[in-house]
Amino acid sequence: MESLRQFLFQQQAAGYLPEMFQYGFLINALIAALMIGPLLGGMGSLVVIKRLAFFSEAVGHAALTGIAIGILLGEPAAHPFAGLFSFCLIFALLLHWIKSRTSVPYDALVGVFLAVAIAMGAALLLYVARKVNIHILENVLFGSILTVQDRDLAILAIIALLCVAAMLVFGNRALVATLNPELARVSGIPVRLYDYVFVMLIALITVAAVKIAGAILVGAMLLIPATTARLVTANVMQFFWTNIVLSTSCCLAGILLPMAFDLPIPSGASIVLLASVGFVIAVILNRFQARVQG
Amino acid sequence: MSGPSISLEGVSLYLAGNCILDTLDTELAAGQLHILIGPNGAGKTSLLKTMLGLMPHSGRVSRHWPAKDTQRLPAYIPQQPQFDSVLPVTVADYLAAIISPRPLFFRQPAFVHHRVEQLLSDVGMRDKKDLKLGQLSGGERQRLMFAQALHRDASLWFMDEPMTGLDGEGQRIITDLIEQLRQQGKTLVMVHHDMNFVRCYADNVLLVDGGLKRCGLPAEVLGDQETAMLEVA
Repeated sequence: MESLRQFLFQQQAAGYLPEMFQYGFLINALIAALMIGPLLGGMGSLVVIKRLAFFSEAVGHAALTGIAIGILLGEPAAHPFAGLFSFCLIFALLLHWIKSRTSVPYDALVGVFLAVAIAMGAALLLYVARKVNIHILENVLFGSILTVQDRDLAILAIIALLCVAAMLVFGNRALVATLNPELARVSGIPVRLYDYVFVMLIALITVAAVKIAGAILVGAMLLIPATTARLVTANVMQFFWTNIVLSTSCCLAGILLPMAFDLPIPSGASIVLLASVGFVIAVILNRFQARVQG
Repeated sequence: MSGPSISLEGVSLYLAGNCILDTLDTELAAGQLHILIGPNGAGKTSLLKTMLGLMPHSGRVSRHWPAKDTQRLPAYIPQQPQFDSVLPVTVADYLAAIISPRPLFFRQPAFVHHRVEQLLSDVGMRDKKDLKLGQLSGGERQRLMFAQALHRDASLWFMDEPMTGLDGEGQRIITDLIEQLRQQGKTLVMVHHDMNFVRCYADNVLLVDGGLKRCGLPAEVLGDQETAMLEVA
């Protein structure tokens, strides 16, 4: 990692890269974006296919409570990973467990969980705000490129490897299980196990992306590039790679543009705003395409 | 490869406190076409799903496989599956996901493409491989379900109204395939409403209405007054 940083510093000193590349935190943030972008894109594809957009959004918002619990239990305010991951995981697993044991419609159930998570988070954060600098909390909630350290990159790399391995081994079977769970069960696919593994991966990604996208906006990054890609692609391969390119581009541009134009915007917000611009363009293109064909 | 026989002993099914199937005992012989008939809401699909292990039932469902048969997963054709209309999953993607060990986001090897083409050709859908799943008509979805089931090369088949939505050509293709499977000695269990088909092809007919009302050869089961009423309905 250090050698990569030194290499980029040398390139900047030689005039091949813009001035902002002299900052170590920017290099860290870009490395993180190059890992989290494809991760959000790849998993976002499955989130959209599985119709779990609202669920991933709820898990992201549960991070609010997880962070508060972590800090209250004595974790450092800048990286309360244990509280964040534990609460997101319990939240996601409990929601999924209740889903299979109730007749309440899934979207209504997610809505209830989402509201409870936000209410708990808001209540606990009032206490937390007395203990720590509120700007540190803002960084965790909305993302900040200033806070990415080597340890964060190492955690991100491990989570990325886990997700890639899961997608390589289970990707096709997970798709079949999503499209027709009964048929998949009859074919010997452990559908319920896959669902729980997927829920755990969403919780892990929320933790992985917290420094760059921010806990609150991770859900949006799982959803927006995938929804955009769905509008403009014709098959799974196109969908997957378009999603990865969109997601990674938004993460990189969302970090670089505020730096380049000296805008005081959190990285999570700029990433999501850029992704939203892509979505609007895709909707317009899709309408135009439909008119031409129709 | 000859299929297994299936025995049901004291099988009952209750859903939300309502009795769907009451204490059902029967034996489905190996290598035959068994057709479940009965009025709407009689519990035919529930019985099929119970045999598949998809329903929480009491009693015992046993499959007795021939010793040589190592591929012990059944093929299943569900009733009218629905797909999201804008999901970017094509017919070829869907079959490739079943056939191929390689994730769909990588280019697939030639054998996968050949197998997909062959399966689609078998069900008369070769020109539909690039359509998205949500663009398929009801009949095309049924053909696709038949294609995925064919790939499994199973000796035990469960089919829930496989002819629903099929046009004349589709019905001919699927009927020919079912006849081929029967001649190969597969055990076939099917829910069906077309009594002409039942008379022509069934080896064993099970009249279901909250339990097993009657069972036997088509002439025996379809001949009585109760079933005649069903045909009129």
